[in-house]
Amino acid sequence: MASLTEYLSDLVADADAVLLFSPTRSMYDRIVDDGTEVVVVAPDNDLDAEVFVELPLPFDNVTDRIRFGIEGSMDAGLVDEGDEVVCLTNVFGDGSDAVIRASVDETVHTGIYDLFVNSRAEPSVIRDIFEVAIELGQKGQKGKPVGALFVVGDAGKVMNKSRPLSYNPFEKSHVHVGDPIVNVMLKEFSRLDGAFVISDSGKIVSAYRYLEPGAEGVDIPKGLGARHMSGAAITRDTNATAVVLSESDGLVRAFKAGELILEIDPEEY
Amino acid sequence: MMPAVATGLTRIAARVPDRVWLALFVLIFGLLAAYVVGAINRRLLTRAGVPDVIEGTAFERTAREFNTSTVRILAKLSSYFIVAITFIVVLTVADIRYLEQFWAGLGAFLPRLFVAVLVLIVGIVVGDKTELLVAERLRGVKLPELGVLPPLVKYSVVYVAALIALGQVGVQTIALVVLLAAYAFALVVFAALATKDLVASAAAGVFLLLRQPYEIGDEVRVAGERGIVQEVDLFVTRIEADSEEHVVPNHSVFRDGIVLVRE
Repeated sequence: MASLTEYLSDLVADADAVLLFSPTRSMYDRIVDDGTEVVVVAPDNDLDAEVFVELPLPFDNVTDRIRFGIEGSMDAGLVDEGDEVVCLTNVFGDGSDAVIRASVDETVHTGIYDLFVNSRAEPSVIRDIFEVAIELGQKGQKGKPVGALFVVGDAGKVMNKSRPLSYNPFEKSHVHVGDPIVNVMLKEFSRLDGAFVISDSGKIVSAYRYLEPGAEGVDIPKGLGARHMSGAAITRDTNATAVVLSESDGLVRAFKAGELILEIDPEEY
Repeated sequence: MMPAVATGLTRIAARVPDRVWLALFVLIFGLLAAYVVGAINRRLLTRAGVPDVIEGTAFERTAREFNTSTVRILAKLSSYFIVAITFIVVLTVADIRYLEQFWAGLGAFLPRLFVAVLVLIVGIVVGDKTELLVAERLRGVKLPELGVLPPLVKYSVVYVAALIALGQVGVQTIALVVLLAAYAFALVVFAALATKDLVASAAAGVFLLLRQPYEIGDEVRVAGERGIVQEVDLFVTRIEADSEEHVVPNHSVFRDGIVLVRE
């Protein structure tokens, strides 16, 4: 037993910072007293922690969650490349049950934090779009799997790089993502072909858009279809972010600057 | 022995005039009524949830320091009022004639004093409460300059309450009323000056949102700036040109007109 404790203390030795994922009050207080730099990564800052990174989605994939936390800490200037961080997080069920040591380097940096926080659109808008896409992926449209393409942010440019396939059902309307009624509307309209265009502040500008970006030089994994290709390409031509729900494999993918940033399985949420 | 004492007492009792008995009766009844009204008031205020509402105000905290509470003070106040009235009635009934003028004046003055004290206490408590509410609202905005706002609101409420209380007691308050009017006038003028453009923008914004003369994605020229509309909200229109984003207030959009650019 002694060797196990030793191994654990070796694992956490000389860490530059501790990342606590959704900690409890007592756990936070115990670790703060210890003296190392503590970063709380949680959906809300319930503990009034000094250093706090907001978690927009409860990333089920632990790697994504840790990447998000590390990139958020880097963005706040708390850790630098070459630092070593220790993450306390939960893998099974509730409560922290895992200690993970990670070094901060370029391989960790995938832009998952930038996707939410440093996009043109507001973070809450991107989060709402993810929630709609995930819900759509879970339930489908009338039980059948459905695909959807949301282009978020930089709506003016996106509108100029696309054309309408039919009349825009959202014309002269003032609907914003995040209202419960809108989730139902988007679900109904998702059977339409084409993309949804959403502005920086979350206004749904248009549905039924046929995107016309230049697709040269867009490098996305092979096997993804036209929806993903046009979604990825429009993010390379504009400052928009594309959230794509695949009809064939049911995954939600996010593209920014023409690259695949995040892949989420809706069934795990 | 005993019968002698009894007859003595009866004789003394007989000598006491009837009106003194009446006065004694009124006194006992008055004290009883004061106690009952005080207790009922306390219960009513507690039942109405007053203690929860005024929890945490400065007045309540001060009251707590003296081992009492606002509700108890209010209840006591009503008791004392009834006791005072009782004493006046008793003195009148007992026909004690000295200082009649003084008591008559006091009899008329007491209810007003009671109302004045009541208004003052309610004013202070409401002022405290509004200060707390405003401070709570502003907590999200971490701006130290806004710290002056909550006390300002509090003292405005207390000032008005004090004015009403003084008016009740009969103090000349015209100068204070003029001061209040000047203060309110200044407040309105400053608010109007400060929010003039915002209100104009919002009014224009309502029109722009309802009629949508231009939409997101249109190329327009507004107030000399040409670009693609990125966002229209209540106050501003965001127009993006190459590497520049213009945030144009809606009232200038409305004043200067819009040029829709078509190739």
